[in-house]
Amino acid sequence: MTQHSSTSSILEPVFLNKLERLAILAKNVKPGVSKGERKSLRKGSSVDFADYRDYVQGDDLRHVDWNIYGRLESLYIKLFEEREDLTLHLLIDASESMKFGTPQKIHMAQQLAAALGYIALSGHERVAIEAFSDDSVQRITPCRGRGSVRKLFSFIESITAQGGTELEKSGKQYLARNRSRGVVVLLTDFFDEVGFEGIVQRLALSQSEVHVLHILSPEELDPTLAGDLKLIDSETKAFAEISMSGPLMKEYKKNVDGFMSSVRSFCVARGVGYVPIPSNSSIDTTVLQLLRRGGMVQ
Amino acid sequence: MTALSSFLLAPQFLWFLLLIPVVVALYLLKLRRTEAVISSTMLWMKSLKDLTANAPFQRLRRNLLLLLQLIILILAIGALSRPFLKVEGMTGSHYCLVIDHSASMQTKEGNKTRLDLAKEKAIDLIDSLDSGDKVMVVAFAENAEVKIEMSDDTQRLRAAIRDIKPTDTRSNIRDVMMIAASLAPDNPDLPATIPDLQLILLSDGRLTDLDEVGARARDVTYHKIGEETFNVGIIGVRLRKNETDGAPAQTLVSVFNAHDEEIETTLTLYLNDSVIGVEEVSLNPQSTSDVVFEHPDFAEGVILVELDEEDALVLDNRAWMAIAPATTKKVLLVTEPNSSNAYYLKRALALNSEVELSEISPAAYQTTEQFELTIFDSYVPEVLPPGSSVFFNELPKLDGLVTTGSLESPPILSVERNHPVMRYLNPENVGITRTTTFSVPQGSKTLLTTRGSPLIADVSRDGRQLLVVGFNISESDWPLKLSFPIFVQNVVKWVPTRGTSHQQFIQAGTPIELLPDIERMDVRIETPTGETHAIRVEPSHPAYFGATSNVGIYSIGTGEEEYSVAANLTHAEESNIHPSDTLAFGRGTIKATQKPVRSTRELWPWFVLAALIVLQLEWWVYSRRAWI
Repeated sequence: MTQHSSTSSILEPVFLNKLERLAILAKNVKPGVSKGERKSLRKGSSVDFADYRDYVQGDDLRHVDWNIYGRLESLYIKLFEEREDLTLHLLIDASESMKFGTPQKIHMAQQLAAALGYIALSGHERVAIEAFSDDSVQRITPCRGRGSVRKLFSFIESITAQGGTELEKSGKQYLARNRSRGVVVLLTDFFDEVGFEGIVQRLALSQSEVHVLHILSPEELDPTLAGDLKLIDSETKAFAEISMSGPLMKEYKKNVDGFMSSVRSFCVARGVGYVPIPSNSSIDTTVLQLLRRGGMVQ
Repeated sequence: MTALSSFLLAPQFLWFLLLIPVVVALYLLKLRRTEAVISSTMLWMKSLKDLTANAPFQRLRRNLLLLLQLIILILAIGALSRPFLKVEGMTGSHYCLVIDHSASMQTKEGNKTRLDLAKEKAIDLIDSLDSGDKVMVVAFAENAEVKIEMSDDTQRLRAAIRDIKPTDTRSNIRDVMMIAASLAPDNPDLPATIPDLQLILLSDGRLTDLDEVGARARDVTYHKIGEETFNVGIIGVRLRKNETDGAPAQTLVSVFNAHDEEIETTLTLYLNDSVIGVEEVSLNPQSTSDVVFEHPDFAEGVILVELDEEDALVLDNRAWMAIAPATTKKVLLVTEPNSSNAYYLKRALALNSEVELSEISPAAYQTTEQFELTIFDSYVPEVLPPGSSVFFNELPKLDGLVTTGSLESPPILSVERNHPVMRYLNPENVGITRTTTFSVPQGSKTLLTTRGSPLIADVSRDGRQLLVVGFNISESDWPLKLSFPIFVQNVVKWVPTRGTSHQQFIQAGTPIELLPDIERMDVRIETPTGETHAIRVEPSHPAYFGATSNVGIYSIGTGEEEYSVAANLTHAEESNIHPSDTLAFGRGTIKATQKPVRSTRELWPWFVLAALIVLQLEWWVYSRRAWI
């Protein structure tokens, strides 16, 4: 608990306390790198009895249930629950566009990453985190255990949003580097000229449980622009000259809704969890309600 | 500008087109956009694309607002410069606008008179002129008046048309035709004629002298003015005095109903402003009724007949008669009493009731100013009397009037029938035994000629009317012929009467004759409108006062006496205000043109309407615009 005070700059200690009651939910537990606190689908050598099976030659005789043998005169192997750890992959879109919004979308991404990372570390899970844009990747080596909270938090705090967005390329590179399966959480605004489908597709095929946290700022959801404007894209520097009007605004909102629902349906079709998160919503609500409801934490 | 003026009434406003660059500049300035960096333009681009994807004329739409603003500006300038369409194709470039301003043109058509309508139409025609077209404006009523000669100065033309004032007179188109004829190409007397002269007649078609125009009629475009028919008018009034003293006099009034329905109205007769008779009249449509008032006789005064009807033309609802006592001419006969000549002359003079005859023998004669006519028979005074004189068988002492001898049985060779004295005479059968032959001074007129000498000559001079008869009437059978009393009557009539006119009334527009006195006199005339005119009348030369275009009483004062002359419309053709659809000229019938009244149709209201619509469109586009 002493660590809390030192990490309170990104998350409130009170909130961290609440987080300790939560755990990352993984419906399909994927094999971890090391034994962890999580029941694995593989049967293993923990103390929790799971099942019996017939003895076959070569089985460890220590696992034979001699009591059964005594009664039935047949050899049965006693199976135990396998306990293994889970890697939480936190993929943060740190492109220039994430810097926008009040509060900034990157700030929300940082808070969410910190919260999820804290939950995972508290549950003795491995946490791998990477913030990427098209020209830079910020990462630390995967960490584990409560002792890594400070390291994780200070990394998260150091994340800066800059550069363009190439989600698919960045995702591909990440998957190549991190073969351990687990729960993948992608925090992004999906403002990618190439499209969102590539990275979602790739992550979905990685045999990990994938969650997409779609962070949009209130300015993007409900713009307050007015007059004749030359809108400049923060990343591509492309500009759009617009004269604000009712029909344009209507069309834009329609497009935002369409954008979000197309991401959602794409994700759902591939068994990817999708949670849209406005950047101005409180981290409390987001984690305790949105993510719970989205089946990410419990 | 002259080319533009063929379809623009105010082309000077086209200078406002210079505003177009200003609008463009303002538009460009206005479009400086505020720059705003946002996270991503991805969704905005998509929205723009969606909005403009199925919009036509995308290129155009970029500057649609500017385009609309320019269209509005151009439409506004278009409206200001007053474009017009020629509704009626007019050929030729010389027009003679003939505007009727006779009495019937004072008919009220709603709030305006027919003359107002005709003037408006004339100004419309002026506005429709092509550049280079020339117009002359002629106003006609009793007489025609050229208001402005051929001109292309539309300002002056309009002013000339506005200047036309109504008159109470009838309309004679004969003068107009003569003016037109003088400009026509078939006039050999004029070197410069106008081959394409077009007459445009603005009238109600009630012209009183159409039958007189005859072959002088030219091609006329006739625009019928007016529609009103409700009018009753006095078209004739006459006073009949009974010969026997004390018997009542009668005033006959002819009333015409121009309307298509029967009208009952009241006719009131006034003598010097007091009512002396009222009659109810029932008037059948399009017909004339005569009303007879019987009233006590009177010597002099002003009679007014008034119709009590508020109709479209009011000036024929009243007619006046100025009745003056019968005047007499004082005639002195200087002859041997009881001679046959005296007998014949007295018999002839006695036929005229106006003659107040005195007789004196030559021996007793003294020159006196008292008489208007002195007849000398075989006698010549030393000094000629100031009035008119007739000399029988003697020559007055005048320069150039010389006896040349005598002639037995002089034959009558020629008669000057145009002279007032010889009018209605047939003296060829007169037999004369002997005559004095004489030569006449220059400027004299020979009225009856025999071989080498006049028999009767007019040697008037110095304001005196002098007549010489070279033979003795008793030495001829003239007194026994019918021509003798007629000659004497002619002489009496020929001699000017001093003083009062016998005219009961004149028709408005015809001149008032001011008869000369023996001496020069200054006459002051007050018209019904209150204007006063002063006219000098020289002895023996009648003067004419022509400014009688208003009906009513003209008071004439000569200093010695005051009398009145009434001027009336009293014309059936003018009172019949039914506008005529055709004009029956000598050669044929001209129909009123069926072409639209306005020859130009101004288009500026359409321009304003279009500008308003485009303005609406611009606002709609502005509030909807969503393109880059």
